Amino acid sequence: MLDALGMLGAGFGHAFQGGVVLHAFWATLVGIIIGALPGLTATMGVALLTTLTFSMAHSTAILVLICVYVGAIYGGSRSAILLNIPGTPASAASTLDGFPLARQGLAGRAMGISTTGSWMGTLFGALCLAVLAPAVGEFALGFQSYEMFWVAMFGIVIAGSLSGGDPLKGYIAGFLGLFVATVGQEANHAYPRFAFGSTDLAGGLGLLPVLVGVFGVAEVLNSMRGPAVQAVASKIDSILPRPSDVLRYWRTIFRSGAIGTFIGAMPGLGEDIAAWTSYAAAKRVSAEREKFGKGSVEGLMAAETGESACVPGAIIPVLTLAVPGSAPAAVLMAAMMIHGLNPGPMLAISSPEFIYQIVAMLIIADMVKLFYGLVLVRPLLWVLLIPRERLMPVVFVLCTVGAFAITSRLFDIWVMLGAGLVGFVLRELRFPMAPLVLGIVLGDLLDKNLLRGLVLSNGDITPFFTRPISAVLAAVTLLTLLLSIPAVQAGWGRGRQALQRRLRRAG
Amino acid sequence: MSEADTAASPLAGEREPVSPRADLITAAVLLAFGLGVVALSLHMPTFVEQSGTGLTAPGIVPGFHGTVIALLSILLGLRAVRRGGLRAGGAGGSARKDLGRLSIAAVLGVIYAAVLVGRLSFWLATALFVFAFTAIFEWPRGPQGRIRRLLEAAAIALGTGWAVVLVFEKLFFVRLP
Repeated sequence: MLDALGMLGAGFGHAFQGGVVLHAFWATLVGIIIGALPGLTATMGVALLTTLTFSMAHSTAILVLICVYVGAIYGGSRSAILLNIPGTPASAASTLDGFPLARQGLAGRAMGISTTGSWMGTLFGALCLAVLAPAVGEFALGFQSYEMFWVAMFGIVIAGSLSGGDPLKGYIAGFLGLFVATVGQEANHAYPRFAFGSTDLAGGLGLLPVLVGVFGVAEVLNSMRGPAVQAVASKIDSILPRPSDVLRYWRTIFRSGAIGTFIGAMPGLGEDIAAWTSYAAAKRVSAEREKFGKGSVEGLMAAETGESACVPGAIIPVLTLAVPGSAPAAVLMAAMMIHGLNPGPMLAISSPEFIYQIVAMLIIADMVKLFYGLVLVRPLLWVLLIPRERLMPVVFVLCTVGAFAITSRLFDIWVMLGAGLVGFVLRELRFPMAPLVLGIVLGDLLDKNLLRGLVLSNGDITPFFTRPISAVLAAVTLLTLLLSIPAVQAGWGRGRQALQRRLRRAG
Repeated sequence: MSEADTAASPLAGEREPVSPRADLITAAVLLAFGLGVVALSLHMPTFVEQSGTGLTAPGIVPGFHGTVIALLSILLGLRAVRRGGLRAGGAGGSARKDLGRLSIAAVLGVIYAAVLVGRLSFWLATALFVFAFTAIFEWPRGPQGRIRRLLEAAAIALGTGWAVVLVFEKLFFVRLP
């Protein structure tokens, strides 16, 4: 306990050394602006800003990216409240009560609630990360290739099941992502898979160019196709958060914080699902259920707390298992690898202080977010009015720079373009992007651990199912897969009803 | 949940579903893709001499992925057929909306990233792209104020070209194309 507090203190000390903390101010501001602008997502923001961090020390770079991530998730609520358009998918649930509050002339109060909920959510999640990550990391040290294979499979299956509404398309997207990760030289024999004689393809498809394409270029195309954003909805009243809102809804804040952190820790689900689940849970138990959807303070508080608690939650599996909990966390993980950090089970042994540095960074980002939440209301209204015809070409330029900068290959710009066009078409066909990203990120993990497991067992697949943790992970994965099949869902529902009837009759 | 939030929830599918016809075509393309991946994986060397067992063959993992994609695409196709994908005229109309704007954005992006970048100075390529993009998309607003809008577009274009070089190359030492 004292060790942990000492390392947390050292984490803060590290962030305040040499003015590193000053980076938090511009990075959080950039994040909030990116999040507030409809069409620009947290994933895109983290991917684009990764380019800027190449020349920075790794701790400064990760602080910048965490600030962008935290800021962007929060910033999305601005456009959700004022325009009824979620700035990021995570803020979709905030439109339900945020915009009605704005229409009632309470936009300032809605933004105050959003700031309070988001601040407390990230703080709650960061404390959970400090407590849980070392324990999960220690537990994960016992994982071998068999378990890591199932962790990767579980990530794809759970993300495919829950992230897009259509599990079948989610699974296909996940496996397409896994396929993308196999392109290029493999680890055992350096054989160039799917290279077709091209030295560029033999080097593999870069993670960052693909992600910038899927989230940046596809967003630009999507944004230019849709209807233009209309004017701001409301005048701004007082934006100061009210302590009475916190005291009155403290249960909602804790519940949503716990839900958000838990969903964040599940591979590939992300902030949008955390917000919706927190919102639904708050509605189910609320004494003011009838207000939900019509300007409920509790509903907005739940959604904002849930999505912001998800950010630290999504970093827990990054640090302990090298499996991202959300799409922006996947890019953050890629950035950690670019900067020579190796997230995963060994982190708790090799550099346990890094976990607490991340906690300190999250808390710093959260405090800066609170500061901007109080002072940065009117300037953000102007940002929201920038026409997309002027914004999107600049975003496209940043995507191009972001794709090129990591290895200085023009080929990566082509990869970005191709990924953007394919990503756009897949979105149009309602394939969710989270499993695709997770597949790309987890592809290498799955590849290496499947083959390593097979070699260790001399081709015998039974250890994948008989080792205790492996068996549990396999069972949960297969159960999730089965329960996503409509016929099984219907059978499960009928069975449950029959059991309830029998119990009632017996009782 | 209310009708509004059910419709918007990512758990329930955020937008209107695509037509069964589109799903059927997608399934056919994915099936061909999956089978192609399997075929290419089978043609990869197995390196039995080096590994002794062939368990490290490069084709095992992509072959597994290709097989799963092919199987899932068959399921997608069967579902589309059950939902009426074989009936004529089922193609979605919503995808055709705003096709013109989409095509212009895509073509401009491809010209910039695949043609201009690498051939011209980065700031010049960027300025040309940003100006063309803004001018073309703002053109339909009509003749009133067009000159002012074009001048603004030129200023934004030159400003973007200059700012990107300044921020990335000079400030953060990032190499530009």
